[in-house]
Amino acid sequence: MLARVSTLPTYDLRTHTLDNGLKVIVSEDRLAPVVAVNIWYDVGSRHETLGRTGFAHLFEHLMFQGSANVARGEHFALVNAAGGTLNGTTWCDRTNYYETLPSHHLATGLWLEADRMGGLLEALDQDNLDNQREVVKNEKRQTRDNQPYGSALDLLHELAYPAGHPYHHSTIGSMHDLDAAELVDARSFYSTWYAPDNASLAIVGDVDTAEAIALAERFFGSIPSKGSFPEPPSTQIAPRIGKEIRKTVQDRVPVPRAFVAYRTAPFGSAEYDAMQVATVVLGGGRGSRLYKSLVLDQQLMQPSDGIVETWPFIGGATLTISDLAAREGVAIERLETAYHQEVARLLDNLDPDELVRAKALLTSHWLHHLASVDGRADTFNQYATLLGDPRLVNDALPNVLAVTAEQVREAVDQVMRPDNRVVLTFVPAVSDEQEAAA
Amino acid sequence: MTARPEPGAPRPWTFPTFDRRLVAGGRMLTAHLPGRALAVTSLVVDAGAVLEPSAQAGVSEIVARAMSEGAAGRDSYEFGVAGERIGATWRSSTDWDSLRVGFEVPAGELAAATQLLADAARSAEFADDVLERVLDERIDEISLDRSQPAVLASEALGSALFQAESRYAKPDGGDPETLEALQHADIRRYRDARLRRDAATLVVVGDLDGVDVDALGRTVFEGWDGDGSAASTPVVQPRDAGRRVVVVDRPGSVQSVVMMGHDGPARAVDDYVAMTTLALVLGGMFSSRLNMKLREEKGYAYGAFGGFDTRKHGGVFAARAAVQSEVTVPALEDMLAEIERVHRDGVTSEELEQARSYRAGVFPVNFAGVGSVAAGLGDVIVHGFEDDHFDALRAKILDVTLDEVNATASTRLRPDDLVTVVVGDASGFAKELDALGLGPVEIITDEQ
Repeated sequence: MLARVSTLPTYDLRTHTLDNGLKVIVSEDRLAPVVAVNIWYDVGSRHETLGRTGFAHLFEHLMFQGSANVARGEHFALVNAAGGTLNGTTWCDRTNYYETLPSHHLATGLWLEADRMGGLLEALDQDNLDNQREVVKNEKRQTRDNQPYGSALDLLHELAYPAGHPYHHSTIGSMHDLDAAELVDARSFYSTWYAPDNASLAIVGDVDTAEAIALAERFFGSIPSKGSFPEPPSTQIAPRIGKEIRKTVQDRVPVPRAFVAYRTAPFGSAEYDAMQVATVVLGGGRGSRLYKSLVLDQQLMQPSDGIVETWPFIGGATLTISDLAAREGVAIERLETAYHQEVARLLDNLDPDELVRAKALLTSHWLHHLASVDGRADTFNQYATLLGDPRLVNDALPNVLAVTAEQVREAVDQVMRPDNRVVLTFVPAVSDEQEAAA
Repeated sequence: MTARPEPGAPRPWTFPTFDRRLVAGGRMLTAHLPGRALAVTSLVVDAGAVLEPSAQAGVSEIVARAMSEGAAGRDSYEFGVAGERIGATWRSSTDWDSLRVGFEVPAGELAAATQLLADAARSAEFADDVLERVLDERIDEISLDRSQPAVLASEALGSALFQAESRYAKPDGGDPETLEALQHADIRRYRDARLRRDAATLVVVGDLDGVDVDALGRTVFEGWDGDGSAASTPVVQPRDAGRRVVVVDRPGSVQSVVMMGHDGPARAVDDYVAMTTLALVLGGMFSSRLNMKLREEKGYAYGAFGGFDTRKHGGVFAARAAVQSEVTVPALEDMLAEIERVHRDGVTSEELEQARSYRAGVFPVNFAGVGSVAAGLGDVIVHGFEDDHFDALRAKILDVTLDEVNATASTRLRPDDLVTVVVGDASGFAKELDALGLGPVEIITDEQ
């Protein structure tokens, strides 16, 4: 069956490193007159120091507040006026900034990125910091504190990684630390991490490779390199948790929901690739084990297209996480027991047909992810920054398709075991009135 | 630092040429986009939520879901596997004006995926046990959705703006009350009435080199019953005009979701371009007035937005933000002030230029992929647009004048009719609300 989906595209790209150390990746795609500009800085919440959690993300906000030749508010305005879209995101291992533009505005995108890479400090002031601190605190309230199950992500980080490990805290950080952030911290963070030799620039789309490299040289070439960077906090960690960790949270939630997280070998490892296949066999799509058993046959949980996923972290160990929301009236204990049984059953028998289905889905998901110039630019930078070579993008899918049933079994056996899991359960809080009545 | 660069010469862009054809009595819209690895095959059906009887709100969404839950001898699981084995991803949705179902699939599997789509559309069984489960899942899903304050706010605004019997008074996906009352016979009857050849159009977008497009059409349409009754006339009456406030009290909330809105015009109005350009300046871009005021100046919110939701038979104007509880009242004052200011004074020529160049410029970015082009063709079907619609729209955007935009600011925005919704901890702001002049205040307690 898979042979029919066999024409896997290879993405042509050219890499070039400027004298100041900036890695430049260019890939032509002339299908539409659009171009993606994408920069990854090799700094994320993993690089934060104690008492300054959430800082990498707060800093990302400051990067949109103007720079040497860009007035406050002008960054968004210039990209929008060019007909472009833009944003930036922060995660544990990196911070990215990107814009997708009609291709004749490529120079504008590069100029804007270069201006804030080289000249942010000229615009950074206390007003910007105070304003964006409040914005970020409201982002945290909107996405975490005022959301049902909103604390799940932060708790999974805390439970699955020991204190002292840089993934012990999540990217959003704490209100206390956000309040404590000072202008001097922002300046120092910028001077420490934001430099051409700590960044990777991808330009993908309707461009001529030589012209794109010349433009990168023109706008970024004069930014001084930094030369050296501090050693990031150690990510050393045991490959497995070594015990089961359980926590139950009573909260304002409509139905019980359990998150089961397992320590897993990092992005780029053979185990990670095997887990990509395992997660789809188990919990990806309507034909997955968990969907069939827990959603269709036993009707214990809410439908979901992606019940299990593995995060792409590189710092010692990453996490595979199952998300199980109970159907109305189903006890969470019953759902959890049925879930563990299904995981164990995977070890007993694995039909080759299930691998065919999983690999076909992984193939089309990959093609979907890389179909847009912005998705491709971001993925090139992911492989360049986290694994050291953007060309590895072309190996990623073949590696996953080469995973055997035995490797899936082995990975599940090693990863999804009781002594390597965190079980975080949310249950509806009993109100005072209900308690009084009971 | 190098000087600010000038743009190069734009490469010409037009919306992808598409082809309309009639195959085996059924309508098709196809667009050939060379070089794309994935393709879309989908049915756009004239079965939007607006056509539902208000008492059966949500039935269309149930029909869309039940279509993939067993058909042509395959049960739900087997149907899922059949698509996923060829890398096909099923997507179904119902909005106010259409039901859309289909696959994104590697281009080489278009024929197989279209066969599955035909099975879902024509031979889905809608068995009792399946309908029971799909209904229960949907009701549970709504209860999850309603635990999010932003969802509660949108629902409260809809029911405050439209008369109780208006379909727009309830969410497009229905609510637990209507779904609980829904009989299996109602669902099958709705399917039989709306899911038929003369209400459906097959959309195929992707690299169609070597694809027998007519054969795809025959797969779906040949022998499909084309008869059916005309759709009923939608009931969408707004309530009486005038300001009022609805508070959904959620004690302990650390934020308030605030919305201000009124009913608005349908998609087909003559001043659509001017009106939506105005909305971009007020609340449709990062640099819009609402976001600059509430986020970038005050730091009250992560973001603030506003605009017109233009449906086929009516619409809504709404502004929204999730603000820190302590500043609920000042945030409402700012939001109202911005709406009143643009209504009274209009936009500046600089703002117009910014909105115009963004909106016209972003077409190539927005329509670069097969999914967005297929969605665009869906809109062509729903609204009966001409072949040159998107290019003509882009030209109109570039031509819209300050006078036209400011005329719609004074007519399409109606500050005196704004309904305000606040979902949050009422103890922190309820007393001050009366003084704002936003109209009579009604407080509802969130039951969760």
